[in-house]
Amino acid sequence: MSEASNEARRRSVGFLLRFVALLVVFYFIVASRPVNDKVIVPFTAGIASVSGRLLNVLGEKAEVSGTEIRSSSFGVNIENGCNGVETGLLFGAAVLAFPARWSRRLIGLIVGFLAIQVLNLVRVITLFWIGLHRPALFSSSHTVIWQSVVVLFGVLLFLLWASRERRLSEAPSTTVGDRPRKG
Amino acid sequence: MTGADRRRERLPAPGPATPRLDARAALRGLVGFLLALAFWFGFSRAYESTIAAGAELVSNVFESPDVTRLDAKGGEILLDRRDFPPGSARPGLSGPDIHFNFVLLAALFALDRRPLRSAHVARFLAAAAALWIIHVVALVFQIHSVYATSLGAWSLANYGKVARNFWAAGWHFYLIAGRFAAPFALWWFFGRREEDLSPERSPIRKKKRKS
Repeated sequence: MSEASNEARRRSVGFLLRFVALLVVFYFIVASRPVNDKVIVPFTAGIASVSGRLLNVLGEKAEVSGTEIRSSSFGVNIENGCNGVETGLLFGAAVLAFPARWSRRLIGLIVGFLAIQVLNLVRVITLFWIGLHRPALFSSSHTVIWQSVVVLFGVLLFLLWASRERRLSEAPSTTVGDRPRKG
Repeated sequence: MTGADRRRERLPAPGPATPRLDARAALRGLVGFLLALAFWFGFSRAYESTIAAGAELVSNVFESPDVTRLDAKGGEILLDRRDFPPGSARPGLSGPDIHFNFVLLAALFALDRRPLRSAHVARFLAAAAALWIIHVVALVFQIHSVYATSLGAWSLANYGKVARNFWAAGWHFYLIAGRFAAPFALWWFFGRREEDLSPERSPIRKKKRKS
């Protein structure tokens, strides 16, 4: 195996190890009771509130209580695993594990987390509508289809960000000071 | 040191290569996702039986006498211990929660420029086998999480505080992070090949340089 190939393999495995380590650290932070009670549950209640308002705008009479969205004939409780935080953890661990400047990581994290949350809102609203009007499809839509779509979206966002980062890192000017100036 | 030097900041070394995400890759990913979904809906019940058998085997190895019995039925894996009182309710464990992530793995492998070449298919099968092992381990954690935390006085008598936390946290980790991260990590390890992805190392580019 060539030197370059070994180096590439080392970078790839290094990324994977950092990713897994960060994911475990993030999990313990998010699963700890204080963070869960003071951050995750209120955040999830916020998702339920926004989803409830959007459902009402769309003509569905939905009431929100904490993390629950209910109508006269159907109700859902948004739990961990359905609030987009899990995909956010995955995305965050991947972005932080990938070699890049901190400023670009920060921008990637903010934009990525917002994009994931927008898609997750669509997921919650869609699932509520399916539960209300097509209850037979709710279980498979919830467990398999939407979960896969949201996680896949998070992974693709990371790959887009990472390929852009790699392009920037491989650009001819290797330092900020070397960048050409206009005029 | 001049001001320009002070502003000079070294960029980090380039990270690992990632696949090019263009419209074709998106289409391949979508087709892979839909095919995997159809496969999953068609074969998930049969697949569930295999992970139930694997988890029962692993559980029995560490039991004396071996009492755990698992029965996969209609999307649920019924947890039956031979020493449960006759007529008592048997906990049902959700199968799809454990193994739906097969769809993610297949969709990620489908992003490759030539997803059907034999070497790539072989790597996909290796990753799918590794995912099967992860599913079996996850089910073992779920079983012990039920034993350790859901059977009242029996749980307290048979599982100490550390053991309760170990099994419950392990299962919770899989639910919150592990089941989503596993397909990505397996695809990254098995499905990506730097020499295929790095344009500066591709044979085509080398030929161009020579000419």
